[in-house]
Amino acid sequence: MGGRETDVVLLDENGIRSDGRKVNETRKVTIKVGVLKNADGSAYIEFGGNKILAGVFGPRDVHPKHMSNPDTGILRVRYHMEPFSVSERKNPAPSRREIEISKVLKEALEPAVILEKFPRTAIDVYLEVLQADGGTRCAALDAASVALADAGIPMRDMVCSCAAGKAADTLILDVNNEEDQAGQADMPIGYMPNFGKITLLQLDGVLTTDEFKKCIELGIEGCKQVYEIQKNALREKYFSSGDNN
Amino acid sequence: MKNLESKKRYVLPGDFITTAPLRLQDNVVLEGKRIISTTIGLSDVSADSVRVISLNGIYMPKIDDLVIGTIQSIFGNSWFADINSCYQGMLLGQDVFGRGSYPTTSEMKERLDKGDIIFARIANSDRQREPLISIADKNLGKIDSGELIKIPPTKIPRLIGKHGSMIQTIEASTNATITVGQNGFIVVSCDETNGLLKALAAIRMVDEQAHLVDLTDKVKKMLEYNGV
Amino acid sequence: MANLSIIDKLKRSKILDLLQEGKRIDDRALDEPRPLVIDTGVIPHANGSARARLGDTEVVSGIKVQPDKPFPDMGDKGIFICTAEILPLAHPSAETGPPQPNVIEIARVVDRGIRESGMIDLSQMVLQKDKSVIGVFADNVVTDHDGNLFDACSYAAVAAIITSKIPKWEMKDDKPVLIEDQASDTPITTIPISVTMGLIGEFIIVDPNLDEWECLDARITITTNSDGNIVALQKGGSDGFSLEQLVKCAELSIAIGKKIRDIIKQATEGSK
Repeated sequence: MGGRETDVVLLDENGIRSDGRKVNETRKVTIKVGVLKNADGSAYIEFGGNKILAGVFGPRDVHPKHMSNPDTGILRVRYHMEPFSVSERKNPAPSRREIEISKVLKEALEPAVILEKFPRTAIDVYLEVLQADGGTRCAALDAASVALADAGIPMRDMVCSCAAGKAADTLILDVNNEEDQAGQADMPIGYMPNFGKITLLQLDGVLTTDEFKKCIELGIEGCKQVYEIQKNALREKYFSSGDNN
Repeated sequence: MKNLESKKRYVLPGDFITTAPLRLQDNVVLEGKRIISTTIGLSDVSADSVRVISLNGIYMPKIDDLVIGTIQSIFGNSWFADINSCYQGMLLGQDVFGRGSYPTTSEMKERLDKGDIIFARIANSDRQREPLISIADKNLGKIDSGELIKIPPTKIPRLIGKHGSMIQTIEASTNATITVGQNGFIVVSCDETNGLLKALAAIRMVDEQAHLVDLTDKVKKMLEYNGV
Repeated sequence: MANLSIIDKLKRSKILDLLQEGKRIDDRALDEPRPLVIDTGVIPHANGSARARLGDTEVVSGIKVQPDKPFPDMGDKGIFICTAEILPLAHPSAETGPPQPNVIEIARVVDRGIRESGMIDLSQMVLQKDKSVIGVFADNVVTDHDGNLFDACSYAAVAAIITSKIPKWEMKDDKPVLIEDQASDTPITTIPISVTMGLIGEFIIVDPNLDEWECLDARITITTNSDGNIVALQKGGSDGFSLEQLVKCAELSIAIGKKIRDIIKQATEGSK
């Protein structure tokens, strides 16, 4: 981040971005529920060029035993990128970046997941990035929340996620890879839509206080759009042959 | 009836159900004054209470539930059984051999070994330890033959039907014996392969279409059609 | 149906009983592999990619092509490296962490089939002899595990390699420099196909699913090339084969390999 010099035009004179979007438009998002046979819950998301699989197991026994908590269940999240998911082949072993993202995603989901009902157990969320295209953590969080619901894990709310940022001195929704590389700010947001609670927030880049507020507002709009797509994906699996709704 | 039906709505986790001061039953939480669903299911608001009938929840042991389990291990004086929950059911040796008895592991193995299937009652369940199960009552104990299958435990009430109507329908037209555990495990046994396959198909249909209203009729039709 | 599972303890005897009648637990013939579906180009950012679904076993393979140093005594050849990982979401028993011996075996068997068949003409992938060559990395990730990961990984990797493109590099000041938009097809000489067979009792079954896999006495993976020759073998499991059984396995691997080669050829044709 930091406004590197580039010959890419991030925003043309008509306010159109390098990939043809308007400033307040997200990339195309599609979600499919229940794509894996063995996982208790699963989802596949395509968020622009991001392709991510989410699988949930549990509640189940905790190994090693000492990690278990007699009063509550625990949530474990693993965010992992495949060697072929990025332009230069990635070493399959987890990097510091992946470990940090795993942690912030866990903490973004924890406020929503009702863990107290399952003492001594673990709920495992596995997020596998098959192709990365900027904004993988938001897309992974969107898929994780859907997979948790698909696994029947009780939740106070869904968690939906989208980034907002700044490129060519303009606030933009859903920062893509190019804009992340050459733009001025990238701020991934995770949001519990029915509680109005922000559970994931990071920022790379520079914003004024006023821009910061506007950027969050813009990001929340994106989150709400993704929330509708999450709901439709779940309805598709669970309610589609019904005559209700 | 119609009035009640109209209050049932499909809901997802986080969906707002109602604000009325009502008794909270399954799969709902109170957030301020708002009652919110915590699962994928059908909201059910009655005169004094509110719940969500889950479409995909996990089995949590409740005292006096009748469950099917498979013996996983013998440890000390207890058997441990998979009861399709995040906790294993613990069956004490003395439940089978009588109070004050201390059977050896080989004696226990002889009675119930790894992989054996039992029909059991949840005798005790709290947050502190593994749920206790018992096979001491009549009709309970080892199940000797049949196919063990699994459906989401939330769909078991649907499989049983009102006063057992659904399960009786399936048994009557297939000559199968179906033992249903409230934990989602089911054992189907039938002397004829055809009847077995039909019974399995009917159970699968309940699993896939549990949220539809006229399910019993549909299952009946399917069973009749296949019977021709 | 995904939710039905047979009582564990009875599984092996049930499977054996059925085999006596010439039947399998999922209604296949003994020499019948599960349906194979290959989708190519599933990871557009990779240099080649494919998803193989063999019954309910699913593998995604991605190819990355990049300049590398040659192996010490093979300065006149490009390098090929194949890996495998069972993702933890593929099965409740799959674990995170460094790869276990069984997964390393899968990667090496897939690698050997491709390498020994000479599928990729690595001699065409030298930028500067002994200094800089092109490396082809085939990374396989298992996303759903229902047995026989050997063949599923192998089919995904082979299909991904067939559809892959090699970017062009030129040496400048002893360093490879990428020439944009000049990728060419990967030089393919033959299509190696592995066929894995299991032994249960006296029966040989092709492409065991996970229920069967857990009851195998022994197994063998035989890889054949487009000419119908055997190019790599791997026996596994804690029992052995008789000579007659091995001859039968070899014949099966050639006959079935041919059919699977046709499926992969067809799936990869459009994307070349």
